[in-house]
Amino acid sequence: MKKVIMGNHAVSWGAKLSRVEVISAYPITPQTQVVEELSEMCAEGELAARFIPVESEHSAMAACIGASAAGVRTFTATSSQGLALMHELLHWASLGRHPIVMANINRAMGPGWNIWTDQNDSLSQRDTGWMQFYCENNQEVLDTTIQAFKLAEAVDLPAMIILDAFFLSHTSEPVDIPSAETVDAFLPKREAKLKLDVSDPRAFNGLVKPDSYTEMRKDQHDAMERAFSVLEDVEAEWERLTGRRFGAVEAYKADDAELLLVTSGTITSTARHVVNEFRDRGEAIGVVKMKAFRPFPTAQIREVLKGVGRVAVLDRNISPGRSGIFAEEIRAALYDLPLDDRPSVFGYVLGLGGRDVTPAVIEEIIAETRAAKAPKREDLWVGVNS
Amino acid sequence: MSQTMIGDRIPHDELMTSGHLACPGCAGAMAMRMVLKGLGPDTIVVMPACCWTIIAGPWPQSSLKVPLYHTAFETGGAVASGIKAALDVRGDTETNVMAWAGDGGTFDIGLQALSGAAERNENIIYCCYDNEAYMNTGVQRSSATPSGAWTTTTPSSHPEAHPKKDILAILAAHRIPYAATASVAFPVDLVDKVKKAKEIRGTRFLHILAPCPPGWKYPDESTIEMARMAVHTRMFPLVEVENGRRWRFTVDHPGGPVEPYLRKQGRFRHLSDEDIAAVQAEVDDRWELFERRVKVGT
Amino acid sequence: MSQKRQSASPDGEPPAVAMSNTSTLENKTGSWKYIRPVYQDQIAPCNATCPVGIDIEGFMNFLREREREEACKLVLRENPIPAITGRVCDHPCEKACHRRRLDQGLAVHAVERMMGDLILADLPDILLVTRPEKIAVVGSGPAGLACAYHLARLGFEITVFEAAAEAGGMLRLGIPEFRLPRRVLDRQIEWLKALGIEFRLNARIGDTVPWNDLAAFDAVFVATGAHRGRGMGIEGETGPGFRSGLEFLKEVNAGARPDLGQNVVVVGGGNTAIDCARTALRLGADALVLYRRSRNEMPAIAQEVEEGEREGVRFMFLAAPVGVNRNDQGLENIECVRMRLGDPDESGRRRPVPIDDDRFTLQADTVLTAIGEVAEFDFLPDDVEAGGGAVAVNPLGGTSNTVIFAGGDMVEQPRSVAYALGSGKRAAIGIDNYFWNRGEEETEAEDWDSFRFADGNLSMARWYGDDPISRSAPNNRVVRPEDINLNHFVPVPRHEDKQLSGEASAAGFDEVNTGVAEQDAMDEANRCFNCGVCNGCELCMLFCPDVAITRGKDGERFHVDMSYCKGCGVCAEECPRGAIVMTREGL
Repeated sequence: MKKVIMGNHAVSWGAKLSRVEVISAYPITPQTQVVEELSEMCAEGELAARFIPVESEHSAMAACIGASAAGVRTFTATSSQGLALMHELLHWASLGRHPIVMANINRAMGPGWNIWTDQNDSLSQRDTGWMQFYCENNQEVLDTTIQAFKLAEAVDLPAMIILDAFFLSHTSEPVDIPSAETVDAFLPKREAKLKLDVSDPRAFNGLVKPDSYTEMRKDQHDAMERAFSVLEDVEAEWERLTGRRFGAVEAYKADDAELLLVTSGTITSTARHVVNEFRDRGEAIGVVKMKAFRPFPTAQIREVLKGVGRVAVLDRNISPGRSGIFAEEIRAALYDLPLDDRPSVFGYVLGLGGRDVTPAVIEEIIAETRAAKAPKREDLWVGVNS
Repeated sequence: MSQTMIGDRIPHDELMTSGHLACPGCAGAMAMRMVLKGLGPDTIVVMPACCWTIIAGPWPQSSLKVPLYHTAFETGGAVASGIKAALDVRGDTETNVMAWAGDGGTFDIGLQALSGAAERNENIIYCCYDNEAYMNTGVQRSSATPSGAWTTTTPSSHPEAHPKKDILAILAAHRIPYAATASVAFPVDLVDKVKKAKEIRGTRFLHILAPCPPGWKYPDESTIEMARMAVHTRMFPLVEVENGRRWRFTVDHPGGPVEPYLRKQGRFRHLSDEDIAAVQAEVDDRWELFERRVKVGT
Repeated sequence: MSQKRQSASPDGEPPAVAMSNTSTLENKTGSWKYIRPVYQDQIAPCNATCPVGIDIEGFMNFLREREREEACKLVLRENPIPAITGRVCDHPCEKACHRRRLDQGLAVHAVERMMGDLILADLPDILLVTRPEKIAVVGSGPAGLACAYHLARLGFEITVFEAAAEAGGMLRLGIPEFRLPRRVLDRQIEWLKALGIEFRLNARIGDTVPWNDLAAFDAVFVATGAHRGRGMGIEGETGPGFRSGLEFLKEVNAGARPDLGQNVVVVGGGNTAIDCARTALRLGADALVLYRRSRNEMPAIAQEVEEGEREGVRFMFLAAPVGVNRNDQGLENIECVRMRLGDPDESGRRRPVPIDDDRFTLQADTVLTAIGEVAEFDFLPDDVEAGGGAVAVNPLGGTSNTVIFAGGDMVEQPRSVAYALGSGKRAAIGIDNYFWNRGEEETEAEDWDSFRFADGNLSMARWYGDDPISRSAPNNRVVRPEDINLNHFVPVPRHEDKQLSGEASAAGFDEVNTGVAEQDAMDEANRCFNCGVCNGCELCMLFCPDVAITRGKDGERFHVDMSYCKGCGVCAEECPRGAIVMTREGL
């Protein structure tokens, strides 16, 4: 069934089709439609879930943790300040190994108040042990939401589906909505491996001493690594059912490219458009879309960028005092390549706080990258008014 | 009944094990034991950071024979809400979900999540065992610390300047079906309240005073004595509130001076006679308020 | 971690979270302690004070547990006549009762009386003689009855010699019927006979029966009491109008109704004095008790004084007769002097001191003197040492003649039914001990301490060594007031005796005090604190923060698991009755 729906509703549909059992959320622009729609679905009886309208994002995550610990499929959505407020519990959810799925609508951090898209909110949660998937369009949002549950429950880690504020959250696109039967076959009801159970009473999360904490961390890390192979399987199965596949990393017209743009989120679509024009002119420019940021697709990134002369990373985020965060991670991933294969990485910081990244902006970046011998700095700020 | 014979008045089943890591004479340990006797084995415990985080034993141990979820400091009300929702959605409407928090996790950092849960009238039991300071971290003041008390953050030269927060009234103001105070020195009253709470649907709140030998600085063996004196002197009246309206005293409060209670505790050692008179005035004033609530509520 | 692994969990394998798989029982937190609790039963003050040596606390506990039969058996271990002591004992136990700190002392007498009546209603089985020795008991007052009874239970063959026509001694001769109905006394004696004790009546040793007749017995217990009235030492006290109060009581108790005239003055402050006054009242006289000290110093049972007052007996304190005036009709009046209280005397009571110039006269037709009686023991063999008005005895009632024992009012001890019973029991133990240890060295006095309730009387249960109550590490210390935790008790009013109205009681010789109802007596037993003896209230178990106390097995009431007890001491502190002590570790 095809429907024209906004990105936020694509999230809601994904959660509904996943038959989430407990939803707990707190409203924040631009996330509100996600939970409004889900509340409606619960109220209408289309979704047999308990909706807990908590008093903060912190409690939203706490309630999700409780519900997940009791063995049910659990979902929430937030953005920006809300995600930051959850920070403590993002760690708790992951080290507690609760396969919670959360949609985060990328929005800039204040102050000043800014409700528009920016990746600093989710990237600030890089080390909390959540899987992060940056989506490009509403179809991917819906599909990834469903896949995320399957993946999260397989590796016992929480997953964040990330979409740009307004550019996706409030933008309507035609979306193919799979049937309930299809999704049910793909994602059966959650059978928790461990849960709070009065017939097998256990204590969870007690004091872990230095002699054991590292092992617990290692297992979490290993699970993150393992997620790649599980994601492969999940995507393969999804493709078999729906014909769609996205990949942790997608190389678009990257063959023989002299320059590759590395993008995430909706900038990818703009970049595809620009690249198409360059290719039409016979210029070897391509795009590499990074969907998975955690776990970080090191091997795939090396594979796809190896031997390319120049790489321009488009970061809608900034780690103050360092550089764009994707660029930084990509540089680190490429460092072990032999010098000859190691591309020159140009890290562009752009589009912060929702500033539009137009084809013209990307063309300018391509031109600048091609013209330069090497990046002048690690942080190349685009179009900064000063 | 001329004397207290426990007999069948309190279940003999033990849902707490020996070897836990509470200090000698810990009222928090006693309180947990008594509450679980009232609730029974079909109970899941949610435990935000507090002394009990340690008392429960390090991984891979547990001192409880019921499921226990250790959680972050401020999340008792919310995690309990989530667990209850999960049980409900899977058709288990009977298992008790109890949040077990200290005064810090209730009066201070956890108040928001507790208020949220109470306002939503979540079907949970929330117990606060109140030792009147952050004992686990080494006796720092909380908003449950009573006037005049020494703590490591309210040294004797500048003791606690504010009265204890009236947490019961805060909860009662949420109009939850049941809120009560209880004391380990009145075990039958305590367990009766737990049993009563167990039969009620909605948010139930139990505030249990838990004297702390190292934090209050009195000898280990005097824990029950302290708890009892707190009630008898009206420092900590035993009441219950139904639907936020009907207030009722559940035991006799003979009254009398608070001085002996204060003087038995090292944390009040620095108090002058005038200071004690001020505490007494505060207690008298609060008692009058309680009496008015009871009068209006009946 | 739930599973120790090198690699990440494959599908279906649980993640490595901090999930428990064992309990805290692994932690032997008992190693933290430096003091440990010990269940150590102590002696209740009532038991320590009882001149009979009854395990009062013990029978109260049996009653609370609804073990009525056990309670009765326990009383009968120590006291053959609870129906009588329940009525006439002055119950020092009640004055020692720690419950007085909470509300009123336990009405031990009421409970004892109820049990005594239950026992009389359904008399226990007859005992058999199991030993070859025959023992003679001379005198069938409370001392003789107690000695005979205990010896019979020990298996001896007993013959009791009684000078009077009926057994009972002072119980029958001295105590008025309105305090001790004869049916009660008769039934008690009947039961003792049924136990196999032979009573030889109208047999006055040294008179109708020569002392030498006792040679047929292996040992003799003598308790013939004190019968000869003491004189006041004033001129004219032996003339008409003056008589011994005790003789008067004996006469009335035997059925006579002598005419005393209108004004009767009774001199004295003990039970005999009160009994005389109340009896005189019943014979139509106006009775006035004249006592040289104040009300506080009166040795009489307070309740008897109150009853007398209610019936119309008048009292005059701090006055004593100093002279007698007679006329043709006989006694005209007596001259008295007022007294004041001086320094305490050897009894601890304040000594009365005459105020010489403060004299007055009292109209009197009859003066009954009740200021004490002296014992007579001319009939005893010469080798039985006596002096100071008493036969000299060791702690087991033994005299200087190894086979002659003595007790009751003949020996130096307070003159009461209870003390008499106690002395009879001591002598029974002395006789039993004599036959077990014949030819052995004499036991030192302090060696007997383990058979006593603290420094109170000897206990038969302890002598037999078959105390039916399981006691933890019993200790012979009396529970102190501070050992009791009053917080675990709720005030409950004492069940007071019911009495005939003053008018009804003064009209005749019916029993004035009708006791309390059976259920009330049972409820009264519930008021007992069970001082010093664990009654299984379970507060220790409940308050233990370490779940280290459980119900014990094999007679142990509670078991403390020392592997987990941290030695906080809450159990000992909260024990309502002082049955737990904290002791140093490693000592």
